[in-house]
Amino acid sequence: MIIQAESPVLEIHDMTVSYDQSPVLWNIDFTLPSGQLIGILGPNGAGKSTLIKAIMGLVNPTGGYVKVFDKPLEEVRSRISYVPQRESVDWNFPASVLDVVMMGTYGKLGLFKRPGKREKEVALASLDQVGMSAFINRQISELSGGQQQRVFIARALAQDADLYLMDEPFAGVDIATEAAIFELLKKMALEGKTVVVVHHDIYSAMTYFDWMIMLNLHLVASGPKNQVVTEELLRKTYGGKLNLLSKVSELVRKQDFNPLEH
Amino acid sequence: MSFDQNAFLIILTGSLIAISCGLLGVFMMLRKMAMTGDAISHAVLPGIVIGFFVAGSQRGLEVIIGAGILGIIATLIIDWLRKKARVQLDASIGITFTLLFAIGIILINLFAYNVDLDQECVLYGEIAYLPIDLWVTGSGTILGPRITYLAVLNFTLVAGFIYFFFKELTLTSFDESFGSVMGIPSKGINLALMSMVSYTTVSSFEAVGAILVVALLVVPPATAFLWTKNLMPLIKLTTILGIGISILGYYLAYLFDSSIAGMMVTVAGVLFLLSALIKGRSSKSAGTSMANI
Ligand SMILES: Nc1ncnc2c1ncn2[C@@H]1O[C@H](COP(=O)(O)OP(=O)(O)O)[C@@H](O)[C@H]1O
Ligand SMILES: [Mg+2]
Repeated sequence: MIIQAESPVLEIHDMTVSYDQSPVLWNIDFTLPSGQLIGILGPNGAGKSTLIKAIMGLVNPTGGYVKVFDKPLEEVRSRISYVPQRESVDWNFPASVLDVVMMGTYGKLGLFKRPGKREKEVALASLDQVGMSAFINRQISELSGGQQQRVFIARALAQDADLYLMDEPFAGVDIATEAAIFELLKKMALEGKTVVVVHHDIYSAMTYFDWMIMLNLHLVASGPKNQVVTEELLRKTYGGKLNLLSKVSELVRKQDFNPLEH
Repeated sequence: MSFDQNAFLIILTGSLIAISCGLLGVFMMLRKMAMTGDAISHAVLPGIVIGFFVAGSQRGLEVIIGAGILGIIATLIIDWLRKKARVQLDASIGITFTLLFAIGIILINLFAYNVDLDQECVLYGEIAYLPIDLWVTGSGTILGPRITYLAVLNFTLVAGFIYFFFKELTLTSFDESFGSVMGIPSKGINLALMSMVSYTTVSSFEAVGAILVVALLVVPPATAFLWTKNLMPLIKLTTILGIGISILGYYLAYLFDSSIAGMMVTVAGVLFLLSALIKGRSSKSAGTSMANI
Protein backbone atom coordinates (compact mmCIF):
# COMPACT_ATOMS: atom_id res chain seq x y z
CA MET A 1 0.00 0.00 0.00
CA ILE A 2 1.64 3.22 -1.16
CA ILE A 3 0.05 6.46 -0.06
CA GLN A 4 1.43 9.54 -1.81
CA ALA A 5 2.20 12.75 0.06
CA GLU A 6 0.94 16.15 -0.99
CA SER A 7 3.67 18.64 -1.94
CA PRO A 8 6.37 16.10 -1.02
CA VAL A 9 9.89 16.96 0.24
CA LEU A 10 11.22 13.75 -1.23
CA GLU A 11 10.15 11.99 -4.38
CA ILE A 12 11.56 8.66 -5.51
CA HIS A 13 10.47 7.48 -8.89
CA ASP A 14 10.75 3.85 -10.00
CA MET A 15 14.24 3.50 -8.56
CA THR A 16 16.31 0.32 -8.83
CA VAL A 17 19.66 -0.02 -7.06
CA SER A 18 22.17 -2.80 -7.74
CA TYR A 19 25.49 -3.91 -6.34
CA ASP A 20 27.56 -5.82 -8.91
CA GLN A 21 24.67 -6.18 -11.34
CA SER A 22 22.37 -7.82 -8.80
CA PRO A 23 19.56 -5.49 -7.71
CA VAL A 24 18.96 -5.09 -3.98
CA LEU A 25 16.17 -2.54 -4.33
CA TRP A 26 13.46 -3.03 -6.94
CA ASN A 27 11.22 -0.35 -8.43
CA ILE A 28 11.02 1.83 -5.35
CA ASP A 29 8.45 4.55 -5.87
CA PHE A 30 7.15 6.80 -3.08
CA THR A 31 6.84 10.36 -1.82
CA LEU A 32 7.34 11.76 1.67
CA PRO A 33 5.54 14.67 3.36
CA SER A 34 7.36 17.49 5.13
CA GLY A 35 7.41 18.15 8.85
CA GLN A 36 6.95 14.55 9.91
CA LEU A 37 8.85 11.90 11.79
CA ILE A 38 9.19 9.04 9.33
CA GLY A 39 10.30 5.49 10.10
CA ILE A 40 11.87 2.96 7.74
CA LEU A 41 11.16 -0.61 8.86
CA GLY A 42 12.41 -3.86 7.42
CA PRO A 43 14.43 -6.96 8.30
CA ASN A 44 18.24 -7.14 8.07
CA GLY A 45 19.44 -6.94 4.50
CA ALA A 46 16.14 -5.42 3.35
CA GLY A 47 18.02 -2.56 1.71
CA LYS A 48 17.24 0.16 4.27
CA SER A 49 20.79 1.53 4.33
CA THR A 50 20.98 1.23 0.57
CA LEU A 51 17.77 3.24 0.21
CA ILE A 52 19.16 6.05 2.37
CA LYS A 53 22.48 6.02 0.51
CA ALA A 54 20.70 6.18 -2.82
CA ILE A 55 18.68 9.19 -1.67
CA MET A 56 21.93 10.99 -0.86
CA GLY A 57 23.74 9.89 -4.00
CA LEU A 58 26.27 7.71 -2.15
CA VAL A 59 25.23 4.81 -4.39
CA ASN A 60 23.97 5.36 -7.90
CA PRO A 61 20.59 3.94 -8.89
CA THR A 62 20.61 1.79 -12.02
CA GLY A 63 17.18 3.12 -12.86
CA GLY A 64 14.74 5.81 -11.80
CA TYR A 65 15.44 9.09 -10.05
CA VAL A 66 15.39 10.93 -6.74
CA LYS A 67 14.18 14.48 -6.25
CA VAL A 68 14.61 16.36 -2.98
CA PHE A 69 12.65 19.57 -2.39
CA ASP A 70 11.52 19.14 -6.00
CA LYS A 71 15.11 19.60 -7.21
CA PRO A 72 17.98 17.33 -8.23
CA LEU A 73 20.17 16.34 -5.32
CA GLU A 74 23.21 18.45 -6.28
CA GLU A 75 21.26 21.68 -5.86
CA VAL A 76 20.02 20.97 -2.35
CA ARG A 77 22.93 19.19 -0.64
CA SER A 78 23.26 21.82 2.07
CA ARG A 79 19.67 21.12 3.15
CA ILE A 80 20.23 17.40 3.72
CA SER A 81 21.82 15.86 6.78
CA TYR A 82 23.00 12.33 7.38
CA VAL A 83 23.60 10.10 10.38
CA PRO A 84 25.48 7.03 9.12
CA GLN A 85 25.50 3.69 10.90
CA ARG A 86 27.92 3.90 13.80
CA GLU A 87 30.10 1.03 12.52
CA SER A 88 30.83 2.91 9.28
CA VAL A 89 33.76 4.80 10.85
CA ASP A 90 36.82 3.95 12.94
CA TRP A 91 36.29 5.44 16.40
CA ASN A 92 40.02 5.26 17.09
CA PHE A 93 40.39 8.36 14.95
CA PRO A 94 42.26 11.06 16.88
CA ALA A 95 39.45 13.54 17.51
CA SER A 96 37.46 14.91 20.43
CA VAL A 97 33.67 14.94 20.68
CA LEU A 98 33.66 18.65 19.82
CA ASP A 99 35.93 18.08 16.78
CA VAL A 100 33.49 15.55 15.33
CA VAL A 101 30.38 17.66 15.94
CA MET A 102 32.10 20.70 14.38
CA MET A 103 32.41 18.64 11.18
CA GLY A 104 28.68 19.13 10.74
CA THR A 105 29.32 22.82 10.02
CA TYR A 106 31.97 22.24 7.33
CA GLY A 107 29.50 21.92 4.47
CA LYS A 108 28.11 25.44 4.88
CA LEU A 109 31.57 26.83 5.61
CA GLY A 110 32.95 26.19 2.13
CA LEU A 111 36.50 25.64 0.91
CA PHE A 112 39.46 27.36 2.66
CA LYS A 113 37.34 28.79 5.49
CA ARG A 114 38.15 27.67 8.99
CA PRO A 115 35.57 26.93 11.65
CA GLY A 116 35.47 29.76 14.18
CA LYS A 117 33.48 30.97 17.15
CA ARG A 118 30.10 30.74 15.45
CA GLU A 119 30.68 27.14 14.36
CA LYS A 120 31.81 26.24 17.86
CA GLU A 121 28.63 27.71 19.33
CA VAL A 122 26.51 25.71 16.91
CA ALA A 123 28.38 22.54 17.87
CA LEU A 124 28.03 23.20 21.60
CA ALA A 125 24.29 23.85 21.23
CA SER A 126 23.89 20.61 19.27
CA LEU A 127 25.77 18.66 21.95
CA ASP A 128 23.54 20.20 24.57
CA GLN A 129 20.46 18.99 22.69
CA VAL A 130 21.60 15.37 22.84
CA GLY A 131 22.74 15.66 26.46
CA MET A 132 26.46 15.34 25.71
CA SER A 133 27.64 18.70 27.05
CA ALA A 134 29.69 17.01 29.74
CA PHE A 135 31.79 15.19 27.17
CA ILE A 136 32.96 17.96 24.83
CA ASN A 137 36.67 17.30 25.22
CA ARG A 138 36.45 13.52 25.55
CA GLN A 139 38.30 11.44 22.94
CA ILE A 140 35.77 9.71 20.72
CA SER A 141 37.57 6.38 21.24
CA GLU A 142 36.64 6.60 24.92
CA LEU A 143 32.88 6.81 24.39
CA SER A 144 30.30 4.07 24.82
CA GLY A 145 28.31 2.96 21.77
CA GLY A 146 25.29 4.99 22.82
CA GLN A 147 27.41 8.09 23.36
CA GLN A 148 29.05 7.69 19.95
CA GLN A 149 25.58 7.49 18.46
CA ARG A 150 24.59 10.73 20.20
CA VAL A 151 27.72 12.44 18.89
CA PHE A 152 26.67 11.47 15.36
CA ILE A 153 23.18 12.87 15.96
CA ALA A 154 24.68 16.11 17.32
CA ARG A 155 26.89 16.36 14.23
CA ALA A 156 23.80 16.09 12.04
CA LEU A 157 22.00 18.74 14.12
CA ALA A 158 24.99 21.06 13.66
CA GLN A 159 24.36 20.86 9.91
CA ASP A 160 21.06 22.68 10.41
CA ALA A 161 19.33 20.97 7.50
CA ASP A 162 15.71 20.56 6.46
CA LEU A 163 15.79 16.84 5.71
CA TYR A 164 17.50 14.44 8.12
CA LEU A 165 18.31 10.86 7.15
CA MET A 166 19.36 8.68 10.07
CA ASP A 167 20.57 5.09 9.73
CA GLU A 168 19.79 3.14 12.93
CA PRO A 169 20.60 6.03 15.26
CA PHE A 170 19.23 4.12 18.22
CA ALA A 171 21.37 1.00 17.92
CA GLY A 172 23.04 0.52 21.31
CA VAL A 173 21.24 3.49 22.88
CA ASP A 174 19.48 2.92 26.21
CA ILE A 175 15.71 3.35 26.44
CA ALA A 176 15.76 6.60 28.43
CA THR A 177 18.12 8.25 25.92
CA GLU A 178 16.09 6.87 23.04
CA ALA A 179 12.94 8.47 24.43
CA ALA A 180 14.72 11.79 25.01
CA ILE A 181 16.13 11.86 21.48
CA PHE A 182 12.76 10.91 19.98
CA GLU A 183 11.26 13.92 21.82
CA LEU A 184 13.98 16.06 20.23
CA LEU A 185 13.24 14.66 16.76
CA LYS A 186 9.54 15.25 17.30
CA LYS A 187 10.23 18.86 18.16
CA MET A 188 12.28 19.22 14.99
CA ALA A 189 9.41 17.76 12.97
CA LEU A 190 7.03 20.28 14.55
CA GLU A 191 9.39 23.03 13.39
CA GLY A 192 8.86 21.80 9.84
CA LYS A 193 11.93 19.58 9.43
CA THR A 194 11.54 16.15 7.94
CA VAL A 195 13.23 13.38 9.88
CA VAL A 196 13.64 9.93 8.32
CA VAL A 197 14.88 7.22 10.68
CA VAL A 198 15.83 3.61 9.96
CA HIS A 199 14.58 1.78 13.00
CA HIS A 200 14.71 -1.83 14.15
CA ASP A 201 12.11 -1.95 16.89
CA ILE A 202 8.48 -2.14 15.79
CA TYR A 203 7.18 -1.35 19.28
CA SER A 204 8.86 2.00 19.70
CA ALA A 205 8.30 2.68 16.01
CA MET A 206 4.54 2.48 16.64
CA THR A 207 4.89 4.95 19.47
CA TYR A 208 6.98 7.63 17.84
CA PHE A 209 6.62 7.77 14.08
CA ASP A 210 3.96 9.65 12.10
CA TRP A 211 4.65 8.02 8.77
CA MET A 212 6.06 4.59 8.01
CA ILE A 213 7.98 3.05 5.12
CA MET A 214 8.10 -0.75 5.07
CA LEU A 215 10.73 -2.31 2.94
CA ASN A 216 11.99 -5.72 1.97
CA LEU A 217 13.90 -5.37 -1.32
CA HIS A 218 10.58 -4.19 -2.75
CA LEU A 219 8.60 -1.37 -1.22
CA VAL A 220 5.83 -2.96 0.84
CA ALA A 221 4.16 0.15 2.18
CA SER A 222 4.55 3.87 2.62
CA GLY A 223 1.99 6.08 4.32
CA PRO A 224 0.61 7.42 7.61
CA LYS A 225 1.32 4.93 10.38
CA ASN A 226 -2.33 4.23 11.19
CA GLN A 227 -3.11 3.27 7.63
CA VAL A 228 -0.12 1.16 6.66
CA VAL A 229 0.84 -0.77 9.80
CA THR A 230 -1.42 -3.77 9.45
CA GLU A 231 -0.74 -7.37 10.29
CA GLU A 232 -0.86 -8.32 6.63
CA LEU A 233 1.69 -5.72 5.57
CA LEU A 234 3.99 -6.48 8.51
CA ARG A 235 3.84 -10.15 7.51
CA LYS A 236 4.76 -9.17 3.99
CA THR A 237 7.68 -7.09 5.26
CA TYR A 238 9.13 -9.51 7.74
CA GLY A 239 8.18 -12.77 6.06
CA GLY A 240 7.13 -15.76 8.11
CA LYS A 241 9.04 -15.09 11.31
CA LEU A 242 6.45 -16.59 13.64
CA ASN A 243 7.77 -15.50 16.97
CA LEU A 244 7.92 -11.94 15.81
CA LEU A 245 4.58 -12.08 14.08
CA SER A 246 2.63 -13.31 17.07
CA LYS A 247 3.99 -10.33 18.96
CA VAL A 248 3.07 -8.11 16.07
CA SER A 249 -0.52 -9.30 15.89
CA GLU A 250 -0.75 -8.66 19.57
CA LEU A 251 0.58 -5.20 18.95
CA VAL A 252 -1.89 -4.50 16.18
CA ARG A 253 -4.74 -5.82 18.31
CA LYS A 254 -3.69 -3.62 21.21
CA GLN A 255 -3.59 -0.70 18.88
CA ASP A 256 -7.19 -1.31 17.86
CA PHE A 257 -8.50 -1.30 21.40
CA ASN A 258 -6.08 0.96 23.11
CA PRO A 259 -4.11 3.06 20.62
CA LEU A 260 -0.47 3.36 21.58
CA GLU A 261 -0.01 6.84 20.26
CA HIS A 262 -0.47 9.62 22.74
CA MET B 1 82.20 22.22 18.42
CA SER B 2 82.34 24.93 15.77
CA PHE B 3 79.44 25.55 13.41
CA ASP B 4 79.62 23.02 10.62
CA GLN B 5 77.79 24.41 7.61
CA ASN B 6 77.65 21.08 5.79
CA ALA B 7 76.21 19.31 8.81
CA PHE B 8 73.65 22.08 9.18
CA LEU B 9 72.59 21.88 5.54
CA ILE B 10 72.28 18.11 5.60
CA ILE B 11 70.29 18.11 8.83
CA LEU B 12 68.07 20.94 7.60
CA THR B 13 67.38 19.14 4.33
CA GLY B 14 66.82 15.82 6.10
CA SER B 15 64.42 17.45 8.53
CA LEU B 16 62.43 19.15 5.79
CA ILE B 17 62.07 15.88 3.90
CA ALA B 18 61.19 13.95 7.04
CA ILE B 19 58.57 16.55 8.01
CA SER B 20 57.01 16.68 4.52
CA CYS B 21 56.76 12.90 4.46
CA GLY B 22 55.52 12.74 8.05
CA LEU B 23 52.76 15.33 7.55
CA LEU B 24 51.41 13.47 4.52
CA GLY B 25 51.98 10.19 6.34
CA VAL B 26 49.68 11.24 9.19
CA PHE B 27 46.76 11.53 6.79
CA MET B 28 47.72 8.36 4.91
CA MET B 29 47.74 6.50 8.22
CA LEU B 30 44.38 7.94 9.30
CA ARG B 31 42.92 6.82 5.98
CA LYS B 32 44.37 3.34 6.50
CA MET B 33 46.43 4.01 3.40
CA ALA B 34 49.94 3.75 4.82
CA MET B 35 50.59 0.86 2.43
CA THR B 36 49.26 2.86 -0.49
CA GLY B 37 51.97 5.42 0.25
CA ASP B 38 54.43 2.56 0.06
CA ALA B 39 52.98 1.48 -3.27
CA ILE B 40 53.10 5.00 -4.69
CA SER B 41 56.71 5.57 -3.76
CA HIS B 42 57.68 2.38 -5.61
CA ALA B 43 55.32 2.87 -8.50
CA VAL B 44 56.72 6.29 -9.39
CA LEU B 45 59.93 4.64 -10.56
CA PRO B 46 58.83 4.09 -14.18
CA GLY B 47 57.60 7.69 -14.20
CA ILE B 48 61.00 8.90 -13.06
CA VAL B 49 62.76 6.87 -15.74
CA ILE B 50 60.42 7.98 -18.52
CA GLY B 51 60.62 11.60 -17.38
CA PHE B 52 64.37 11.26 -17.22
CA PHE B 53 64.48 9.82 -20.70
CA VAL B 54 62.36 12.63 -22.08
CA ALA B 55 64.25 15.36 -20.25
CA GLY B 56 67.68 13.77 -20.64
CA SER B 57 68.45 14.78 -17.10
CA GLN B 58 67.62 13.75 -13.56
CA ARG B 59 66.65 17.31 -12.76
CA GLY B 60 63.95 18.12 -15.27
CA LEU B 61 60.41 19.06 -14.51
CA GLU B 62 59.46 16.11 -16.72
CA VAL B 63 60.77 13.75 -14.05
CA ILE B 64 58.47 15.20 -11.41
CA ILE B 65 55.49 15.25 -13.78
CA GLY B 66 56.18 11.67 -14.92
CA ALA B 67 56.38 10.46 -11.35
CA GLY B 68 53.26 12.37 -10.36
CA ILE B 69 51.27 10.79 -13.17
CA LEU B 70 52.51 7.31 -12.30
CA GLY B 71 51.65 7.86 -8.64
CA ILE B 72 48.08 8.75 -9.54
CA ILE B 73 47.86 5.84 -11.99
CA ALA B 74 49.01 3.52 -9.19
CA THR B 75 46.29 4.86 -6.87
CA LEU B 76 43.67 4.44 -9.57
CA ILE B 77 44.76 0.87 -10.37
CA ILE B 78 44.65 -0.07 -6.68
CA ASP B 79 41.22 1.48 -6.33
CA TRP B 80 39.95 -0.20 -9.46
CA LEU B 81 41.28 -3.63 -8.49
CA ARG B 82 39.67 -3.33 -5.07
CA LYS B 83 36.28 -1.93 -6.03
CA LYS B 84 35.62 -3.34 -9.50
CA ALA B 85 37.65 -6.53 -9.61
CA ARG B 86 37.02 -7.17 -5.87
CA VAL B 87 40.64 -7.96 -5.12
CA GLN B 88 41.52 -7.44 -1.45
CA LEU B 89 43.25 -4.19 -0.62
CA ASP B 90 46.62 -5.66 0.40
CA ALA B 91 46.72 -7.86 -2.69
CA SER B 92 45.78 -4.93 -4.97
CA ILE B 93 48.61 -2.88 -3.48
CA GLY B 94 51.09 -5.73 -3.77
CA ILE B 95 50.22 -6.43 -7.41
CA THR B 96 50.26 -2.78 -8.44
CA PHE B 97 53.49 -1.63 -6.92
CA THR B 98 55.59 -4.69 -7.69
CA LEU B 99 54.41 -4.55 -11.30
CA LEU B 100 55.13 -0.84 -11.75
CA PHE B 101 58.40 -1.09 -9.84
CA ALA B 102 59.51 -3.98 -12.05
CA ILE B 103 58.65 -1.98 -15.15
CA GLY B 104 60.76 0.83 -13.74
CA ILE B 105 63.75 -1.46 -13.17
CA ILE B 106 63.45 -2.86 -16.71
CA LEU B 107 63.27 0.68 -18.10
CA ILE B 108 66.39 1.65 -16.17
CA ASN B 109 68.25 -1.37 -17.57
CA LEU B 110 67.04 -0.58 -21.09
CA PHE B 111 67.88 3.10 -21.08
CA ALA B 112 70.37 3.72 -18.35
CA TYR B 113 73.43 2.66 -20.32
CA ASN B 114 73.19 5.69 -22.58
CA VAL B 115 71.97 8.17 -20.02
CA ASP B 116 73.44 9.11 -16.75
CA LEU B 117 70.82 7.74 -14.32
CA ASP B 118 72.24 6.35 -11.17
CA GLN B 119 70.19 3.35 -10.05
CA GLU B 120 71.79 3.33 -6.62
CA CYS B 121 70.86 6.96 -6.21
CA VAL B 122 67.23 6.44 -7.20
CA LEU B 123 66.80 3.61 -4.76
CA TYR B 124 68.92 4.69 -1.82
CA GLY B 125 69.76 8.37 -2.32
CA GLU B 126 72.81 10.06 -0.98
CA ILE B 127 72.16 13.07 1.10
CA ALA B 128 75.86 13.24 2.02
CA TYR B 129 76.76 14.62 -1.43
CA LEU B 130 74.30 17.45 -0.97
CA PRO B 131 76.87 20.18 -0.15
CA ILE B 132 78.81 19.61 -3.39
CA ASP B 133 75.72 19.43 -5.62
CA LEU B 134 75.21 23.14 -6.07
CA TRP B 135 72.64 25.11 -7.97
CA VAL B 136 74.50 27.38 -10.36
CA THR B 137 72.62 29.95 -12.44
CA GLY B 138 73.27 30.55 -16.12
CA SER B 139 75.48 33.52 -15.32
CA GLY B 140 77.55 31.43 -12.96
CA THR B 141 76.23 32.57 -9.59
CA ILE B 142 76.26 29.82 -6.97
CA LEU B 143 73.00 29.78 -5.06
CA GLY B 144 73.62 26.84 -2.72
CA PRO B 145 72.78 23.14 -2.57
CA ARG B 146 70.16 22.20 -5.16
CA ILE B 147 68.55 19.47 -3.07
CA THR B 148 68.01 21.84 -0.16
CA TYR B 149 66.07 24.13 -2.48
CA LEU B 150 63.97 21.18 -3.64
CA ALA B 151 63.28 20.21 -0.04
CA VAL B 152 62.27 23.77 0.91
CA LEU B 153 59.91 23.99 -2.05
CA ASN B 154 58.45 20.57 -1.28
CA PHE B 155 57.97 21.39 2.38
CA THR B 156 56.29 24.70 1.55
CA LEU B 157 53.85 23.03 -0.84
CA VAL B 158 53.05 20.16 1.54
CA ALA B 159 52.57 22.48 4.52
CA GLY B 160 50.41 24.81 2.42
CA PHE B 161 48.33 21.92 1.10
CA ILE B 162 47.65 20.62 4.59
CA TYR B 163 47.01 24.09 5.98
CA PHE B 164 44.49 25.09 3.33
CA PHE B 165 42.70 21.74 3.10
CA PHE B 166 42.96 20.83 6.77
CA LYS B 167 39.25 20.51 7.46
CA GLU B 168 38.55 18.65 4.21
CA LEU B 169 41.46 16.25 4.79
CA THR B 170 40.37 15.58 8.37
CA LEU B 171 36.71 15.09 7.56
CA THR B 172 37.24 12.80 4.58
CA SER B 173 39.80 10.78 6.57
CA PHE B 174 37.29 10.20 9.37
CA ASP B 175 34.04 9.81 7.47
CA GLU B 176 34.24 9.99 3.70
CA SER B 177 30.54 9.46 2.97
CA PHE B 178 29.47 12.17 5.41
CA GLY B 179 31.81 14.52 3.54
CA SER B 180 30.33 13.51 0.19
CA VAL B 181 26.80 14.13 1.45
CA MET B 182 27.81 17.67 2.42
CA GLY B 183 29.18 18.20 -1.07
CA ILE B 184 32.87 18.03 -0.14
CA PRO B 185 34.73 16.54 -3.12
CA SER B 186 36.12 13.47 -1.34
CA LYS B 187 37.54 11.90 -4.49
CA GLY B 188 39.30 15.12 -5.47
CA ILE B 189 40.80 15.54 -2.00
CA ASN B 190 41.98 11.94 -2.11
CA LEU B 191 43.62 12.35 -5.51
CA ALA B 192 45.24 15.61 -4.40
CA LEU B 193 46.71 13.83 -1.39
CA MET B 194 48.03 11.01 -3.59
CA SER B 195 49.56 13.54 -5.97
CA MET B 196 51.30 15.27 -3.08
CA VAL B 197 52.68 11.92 -1.91
CA SER B 198 53.95 11.14 -5.45
CA TYR B 199 55.52 14.58 -5.78
CA THR B 200 57.14 14.35 -2.35
CA THR B 201 58.53 10.93 -3.21
CA VAL B 202 60.18 12.22 -6.37
CA SER B 203 61.36 15.41 -4.80
CA SER B 204 63.01 13.43 -2.02
CA PHE B 205 64.33 10.44 -3.90
CA GLU B 206 67.70 11.96 -4.74
CA ALA B 207 68.33 12.73 -1.10
CA VAL B 208 67.00 9.72 0.75
CA GLY B 209 66.03 7.34 -2.05
CA ALA B 210 62.63 6.05 -3.13
CA ILE B 211 62.65 3.17 -0.67
CA LEU B 212 63.59 5.15 2.40
CA VAL B 213 60.92 7.75 1.67
CA VAL B 214 58.44 5.03 2.55
CA ALA B 215 59.86 4.67 6.03
CA LEU B 216 59.57 8.41 6.58
CA LEU B 217 55.95 8.33 5.37
CA VAL B 218 54.96 5.51 7.68
CA VAL B 219 57.13 5.32 10.79
CA PRO B 220 57.04 8.81 12.38
CA PRO B 221 53.21 9.08 12.23
CA ALA B 222 52.81 5.56 13.58
CA THR B 223 55.22 6.38 16.42
CA ALA B 224 53.42 9.63 17.25
CA PHE B 225 50.06 7.85 17.23
CA LEU B 226 51.31 5.66 20.05
CA TRP B 227 51.73 8.74 22.23
CA THR B 228 48.69 10.87 21.47
CA LYS B 229 45.10 10.48 20.36
CA ASN B 230 44.66 14.11 19.36
CA LEU B 231 45.18 15.33 15.83
CA MET B 232 47.11 18.55 16.46
CA PRO B 233 49.54 16.99 18.97
CA LEU B 234 49.87 14.07 16.56
CA ILE B 235 50.96 16.41 13.78
CA LYS B 236 53.31 18.34 16.07
CA LEU B 237 54.89 15.20 17.45
CA THR B 238 55.39 13.83 13.93
CA THR B 239 57.18 17.07 13.03
CA ILE B 240 59.42 16.93 16.10
CA LEU B 241 60.20 13.27 15.36
CA GLY B 242 61.19 14.26 11.81
CA ILE B 243 63.69 16.79 13.13
CA GLY B 244 65.00 14.47 15.84
CA ILE B 245 65.45 11.62 13.38
CA SER B 246 67.51 13.85 11.07
CA ILE B 247 69.80 15.13 13.81
CA LEU B 248 70.36 11.72 15.38
CA GLY B 249 70.61 10.05 11.99
CA TYR B 250 73.28 12.48 10.83
CA TYR B 251 75.52 12.22 13.87
CA LEU B 252 75.17 8.45 14.19
CA ALA B 253 76.03 8.05 10.51
CA TYR B 254 79.05 10.27 11.11
CA LEU B 255 80.02 8.20 14.12
CA PHE B 256 79.63 4.83 12.41
CA ASP B 257 80.70 6.10 9.00
CA SER B 258 77.55 4.82 7.27
CA SER B 259 74.71 6.11 5.09
CA ILE B 260 72.86 9.09 6.55
CA ALA B 261 69.48 8.16 5.08
CA GLY B 262 69.91 4.58 6.27
CA MET B 263 70.76 5.78 9.76
CA MET B 264 67.77 8.16 9.80
CA VAL B 265 65.45 5.26 9.13
CA THR B 266 67.19 3.09 11.68
CA VAL B 267 66.70 5.81 14.29
CA ALA B 268 63.03 6.11 13.28
CA GLY B 269 62.59 2.35 13.61
CA VAL B 270 64.27 2.22 17.02
CA LEU B 271 62.14 5.13 18.28
CA PHE B 272 59.03 3.33 17.07
CA LEU B 273 60.01 0.07 18.77
CA LEU B 274 60.80 1.86 22.02
CA SER B 275 57.45 3.68 21.88
CA ALA B 276 55.64 0.45 21.13
CA LEU B 277 57.33 -1.25 24.08
CA ILE B 278 56.44 1.59 26.43
CA LYS B 279 52.95 2.39 25.16
CA GLY B 280 52.01 -0.70 23.17
CA ARG B 281 50.40 -2.59 25.96
CA SER B 282 48.15 0.25 27.06
CA SER B 283 47.06 1.25 23.57
CA LYS B 284 44.60 -0.52 21.35
CA SER B 285 45.63 1.44 18.28
CA ALA B 286 49.20 0.22 18.40
CA GLY B 287 48.02 -2.96 16.75
CA THR B 288 46.57 -1.19 13.75
CA SER B 289 49.53 1.14 13.39
CA MET B 290 51.95 -1.74 13.39
CA ALA B 291 49.81 -3.75 11.04
CA ASN B 292 50.05 -0.90 8.58
CA ILE B 293 53.81 -1.13 8.35
N1 LIG C 1 28.74 -2.39 -0.80
C1 LIG C 1 27.99 -3.47 -1.05
N2 LIG C 1 28.37 -4.36 -2.01
C2 LIG C 1 27.63 -5.44 -2.27
N3 LIG C 1 26.49 -5.76 -1.64
C3 LIG C 1 26.05 -4.94 -0.67
C4 LIG C 1 26.78 -3.75 -0.33
N4 LIG C 1 26.10 -3.11 0.67
C5 LIG C 1 25.01 -3.87 0.92
N5 LIG C 1 24.97 -4.96 0.13
C6 LIG C 1 23.91 -5.98 0.10
O1 LIG C 1 22.69 -5.33 -0.17
C7 LIG C 1 21.65 -5.84 0.63
C8 LIG C 1 20.97 -4.71 1.39
O2 LIG C 1 21.91 -4.17 2.32
P1 LIG C 1 21.55 -2.97 3.30
O3 LIG C 1 21.01 -1.85 2.50
O4 LIG C 1 22.75 -2.70 4.12
O5 LIG C 1 20.39 -3.59 4.21
P2 LIG C 1 19.84 -3.13 5.63
O6 LIG C 1 20.41 -1.78 5.95
O7 LIG C 1 18.35 -3.10 5.46
O8 LIG C 1 20.24 -4.16 6.63
C9 LIG C 1 22.27 -6.89 1.51
O9 LIG C 1 22.00 -8.14 0.94
C10 LIG C 1 23.73 -6.60 1.48
O10 LIG C 1 24.47 -7.77 1.60
MG1 LIG D 1 21.68 -1.10 7.46
